[in-house]
Amino acid sequence: MIEVKNISQTYDSRSERDTITDVSLTVRENTITALIGANGAGKSTLLSVMTNLIPAKKGNVTIDGVDVRKIKTSEVAKKVAFLKQTHQLSIKITVRDLVEYGRFPHCGGRLKDTDHAKVNECIDYMNLEELSEKYLDEISGGQRQRAFIAMILAQDTPYIFLDEPLNNLDIKYSVEMMKIVHKLVSELDKTVVIVLHDINFAAAYAGHIVAMKDGKIYKEGTPNEVITTEVLNPVFDHDFHITEHDGKNICLYYD
Amino acid sequence: MVVKSLAKPRNLRAIAVIALLALLIVGATALYIYSRTYANANRLGVTMHPTAFESIMARIRPAMMSMIAASVVLAVVSLSFQTIVRSRVLTPSMIGFDSIFVGTQTVLVFVFGAYSVWFQNPYVNYFVTAGVMITISMFMYSFILRSSKNNVIFLLMFGLILSGIIGSGTRYLQVIMNQSEFFHVQAATMVNVNNINTNIANIAFPIMAVVVVLIVLRHRRLDVMSLGPDQAKSLGIAYERELRLHLILIAVGMSVATALIGSLTFLGLLAVNAAREVMKTHKHLPLFIGSSLMAALTLIAGQAVMELLQGAVPVTVIINLVGCSYIFYLVLKENKT
Repeated sequence: MIEVKNISQTYDSRSERDTITDVSLTVRENTITALIGANGAGKSTLLSVMTNLIPAKKGNVTIDGVDVRKIKTSEVAKKVAFLKQTHQLSIKITVRDLVEYGRFPHCGGRLKDTDHAKVNECIDYMNLEELSEKYLDEISGGQRQRAFIAMILAQDTPYIFLDEPLNNLDIKYSVEMMKIVHKLVSELDKTVVIVLHDINFAAAYAGHIVAMKDGKIYKEGTPNEVITTEVLNPVFDHDFHITEHDGKNICLYYD
Repeated sequence: MVVKSLAKPRNLRAIAVIALLALLIVGATALYIYSRTYANANRLGVTMHPTAFESIMARIRPAMMSMIAASVVLAVVSLSFQTIVRSRVLTPSMIGFDSIFVGTQTVLVFVFGAYSVWFQNPYVNYFVTAGVMITISMFMYSFILRSSKNNVIFLLMFGLILSGIIGSGTRYLQVIMNQSEFFHVQAATMVNVNNINTNIANIAFPIMAVVVVLIVLRHRRLDVMSLGPDQAKSLGIAYERELRLHLILIAVGMSVATALIGSLTFLGLLAVNAAREVMKTHKHLPLFIGSSLMAALTLIAGQAVMELLQGAVPVTVIINLVGCSYIFYLVLKENKT
């Protein structure tokens, strides 16, 4: 279980990063938790703090009851996998090479038979068999995103954190990606925390939504509890129109 | 399993390249020995006597050792530097090591004179120079990395400016010092392997070995670090700690090697990129071996050519000529894709 207690994160005024103040959150197991909010609301900062990418200035983050600061980075990597929004690689590597890096926390770079088996399994799971020897710059954006997910899967962690995985993906690939994320939870029993820009994707796929405003949690709950004008209007500082589709709230935000 | 993974086509390529480079180094070494023995004998029209050959060989051995050691150190620290700053076109020289080296020699001569202990005693000179280089780089690291949260780009900019300031200060001192002192400085800063002080080399070699071993042992971690700081951290690398360790090792390696053999700005850059180009791998272990061999080959062959031209062209000019043209090619090629 991952719990966040009274996290505050402030940067000096020169920093462009968002500030968060006194945020507490319990990550629900075996669910997709979506973080939504306007730019600068602190979603990505919260994600970075939760994954120990940035140490928290105040408050603490616990994984299964143990403070992350007391766990070695290499051990955290066996529990939590994190994918940042941009992954511009400066090196030319194949899909398989990338997925093999996912085994690093378990084997320190010396892949054994079990590691190779896991890599193959993840490549198969993400339907990347035919692309596995292709270089990352030779495949499409959607395929590349799948390759990165395969790497995260190879890391074999119960928790997966994704920071805006739909960026730069068209509708087809976005839906495909969200279906994959959904499968990770339903088939592989993973716990996923995801930052999403498109609220309707959160409404359609998430089990739990956390709406953030000005570095604080404004409201958290089931999609139908959060996707309401009372919550979204102040969170995004915009007038929303909510309709229902298949029992799920969907929002329209075009003036 | 080991055999299977070694037999992958990419690994075969790396092994072939390493074997070829090793052969070429043997050739270059032979050429270098020839250039210093029979070539000179032929030119003077005398026959090479075995005892004379043996006495020249006694001086060639430390030169060879120093060239190989310096090449390995420069190649290894350059590759590690390129990985942590995430750029293929940068080298540790850019953050000022070479200019600090030349600057220290110039100040020593300017302040104490060319015949003072500070400049003439090889031990004092070596330790002062290497010490100043290490001190300045550590000071720079601690100052910048603490105030800017491991911002490597800021470190690069600061280093570049610092090296510019030291460079112009050095040139100013060189202009106002008298001519004979200037020649002494020039002789001390030019790459010259033919009169390496064996005792100093014996002190420098173990330090170089430690630096190289510590960096090369981290090759798997460096592989992961080349995915970028965030991804590396997510995969369990203590990135900040590794970054600092590498910067320290780079500073020590650069200082010890440069103070021993002289400033070889382009050698590391040339060797690492050439190795990448021919080995077509991103794994650090083969690249460490390949670029070390490439650096040694370039330096020994350059030295042999210099000897054959009877010192008409200094070895740095040969390396910089090859290095610059190669960097041009690289930049133009990267620009196209």
